[in-house]
Amino acid sequence: MKKKLLSIILAAALAVSCLAGCGNAANDSSKGSADNEKQTGGATAVSDLKIGEIESYVINDGGWCQATHTGLVNAMEECGIPEENLLTLENIAEDQASVQAAAEQLIDEGCDIIIGASTGYSGYLSDMAADYPDVTFAQWGTETDGLVAYELRSYEAMFVAGYVCELMSQDENTKLGFSASMDEFSVRTAINSYALGAKYANPKATVQVACADTWYDPDKETQCAKSLIDAGIKYMGMEATSPAVAQTCEANGAYCVGYHVDMSQYAPDAVLFSFTWNFAPIFKQIFEDKAAGGEMKSLYYEGGECAQLTEFSDLVPEDIQQKGNELKEKIASGEVQVYAGPLSDDKGNELVAEGQVMDDATILLQDFYVSNVDCAWSK
Amino acid sequence: MSVLIVSIISTAVLYAVSVLYAAIGEIFSQKAGVMNLGLEGIMLMGAVSGYLVAVHQKNLALALIVVILVGAALGLVFAFVTVTLQADQTVAGMAMLTFGTGLSGFIGNSVAGVNANLAFQSFEIPLLCKIPIIGPSLFDQNILVYAMYIIVPVSMIYIYKTRPGMILRALGENPATLDSAGYNVFALRYGYVIFGSAMTAVSGACVSLAYTNFWSDNMTSGKGWIAVALVVFASWNPVIAVFGALLFGAISVIGVDIQMVSSTLPSQFYSALPYVATIIALIFTTGNFRKKRSAAPAALCIPYDREER
Repeated sequence: MKKKLLSIILAAALAVSCLAGCGNAANDSSKGSADNEKQTGGATAVSDLKIGEIESYVINDGGWCQATHTGLVNAMEECGIPEENLLTLENIAEDQASVQAAAEQLIDEGCDIIIGASTGYSGYLSDMAADYPDVTFAQWGTETDGLVAYELRSYEAMFVAGYVCELMSQDENTKLGFSASMDEFSVRTAINSYALGAKYANPKATVQVACADTWYDPDKETQCAKSLIDAGIKYMGMEATSPAVAQTCEANGAYCVGYHVDMSQYAPDAVLFSFTWNFAPIFKQIFEDKAAGGEMKSLYYEGGECAQLTEFSDLVPEDIQQKGNELKEKIASGEVQVYAGPLSDDKGNELVAEGQVMDDATILLQDFYVSNVDCAWSK
Repeated sequence: MSVLIVSIISTAVLYAVSVLYAAIGEIFSQKAGVMNLGLEGIMLMGAVSGYLVAVHQKNLALALIVVILVGAALGLVFAFVTVTLQADQTVAGMAMLTFGTGLSGFIGNSVAGVNANLAFQSFEIPLLCKIPIIGPSLFDQNILVYAMYIIVPVSMIYIYKTRPGMILRALGENPATLDSAGYNVFALRYGYVIFGSAMTAVSGACVSLAYTNFWSDNMTSGKGWIAVALVVFASWNPVIAVFGALLFGAISVIGVDIQMVSSTLPSQFYSALPYVATIIALIFTTGNFRKKRSAAPAALCIPYDREER
């Protein structure tokens, strides 16, 4: 009897602690607004919009989800949308049941816009879009039927990153490194832009790639950085989630460009500056277009201040900082085009002819490596 | 070339140690007849509690003590469920896994993205570090690695050469006999489960305070499972576990190196290498190759009940 009682108490304790763990899943706000009468086609005030976000992980992950969430919060503030109009669902797996349940929950709560922050959601959200014509499904990634896609021109900032790294290393060697996560189109865009930036500074510069083959694994990321450093590389870019690459660089006297968030606090003696995502201007535009009630673009693809680099650290000499800033301005004004011809891939095929510029669709879905990328498996 | 070899070995050693604490702890626990599959959850709890102390107290020794205590507390809970309540060990292990994973994420929320800037630093051991190749790769490590150099031989001697070790083995083979001989089976199992769990938590600290230095949800990314696999792989022998861990470490490091130097194979091939090695090793360590000396404790996973003797 005693045992039974104890096991019941124990089971109850476990259940309670489990519930406590998932308490903050949805910041449930005003239930009263469930009578969601939306004017189709008509204009509403921006500040009345209700936004739901579906995140694959937690919003303080120090990376991707945090960037999306911060972008939303900032855009809402600028548009005067009250904080409680944002409903957040975290840790939503990329499978149909989870995504559909999450989206339906948000629609039930009266959301006008649903933000899908992970590429894996697009198929399921696209299926749902037809059933809910009043709701706008905004999805990170490339154009998909029924969805409003958003992307930012991250390659502009990566180009500057490669350029600055090459300027830093010029007198030592002409080989830079890149610690990549997966061999996938968005990662290839980062690698290629970084390599082109390096080439812009020094036509002989090459970039050696090490691929962890996982989106998140501090072990693998450490090993990639270590292997690059062992191969004699001192400056590297990265497309990795954890601060492991930056910490490995710091421990071995190498330098890197942080990714996702400002990584300088983790490795102040190694991080030259960081690449960060700034979604606020894009979200602001989406909110305004939605409120105006007209047709929405199928792809919001923005550069400029969206692909942001943090301030240069003191590790970067004054004159190089200045050159980096000048390049940023030239890209913003259109004077410098990242994917301008003549451009060929690492197998010698021509990608862009002299005097031409690559189109957005090709930039978004890169299935090539540019000529100065040294990537063993691509050859 | 020798620089590369040193780098591969030292990274492999660092990796090996971060799973070995858990694996050796689990060997003790399983030798006592209790299988704990929740290692990943306990590791995460160790990682987060150590990191929390490092951030707030800036004291590594204190962090390590807290890690051990947290591990011991979880071990106590697990022992209570499996030894006293005689719950199914597999199910209880899964509960420990989800509990540890969830709770670590919950309490680690405040330090996610916060830099402790405090880790176990590597230092050279005089004289020994001068040996070519072996010196810089084995004797320029952090204190947790050096401790492992002592833990492995001590645990070997303990398990196979001492009287308490013999009792430990009997505990996992035939607890009833031990009970008749006047030993307290329950207390002994409690002790070993708590010890195993505390060691596992130290593995977690290796990840958040030595191998890398940050906290993020699920940061052990499967190391707990590798530790469980190592125990079987090593036939419950700590020394074989060392070689197994080094093999895993070396293969995963070399994968990236080969990828860079020369190869036309896709990177996914190298990511698959450790698993190929696992299968090959399992072929040689299980089945017909090992029939004669099947090392699994006979009473593993069987709760001891006096009334069923």
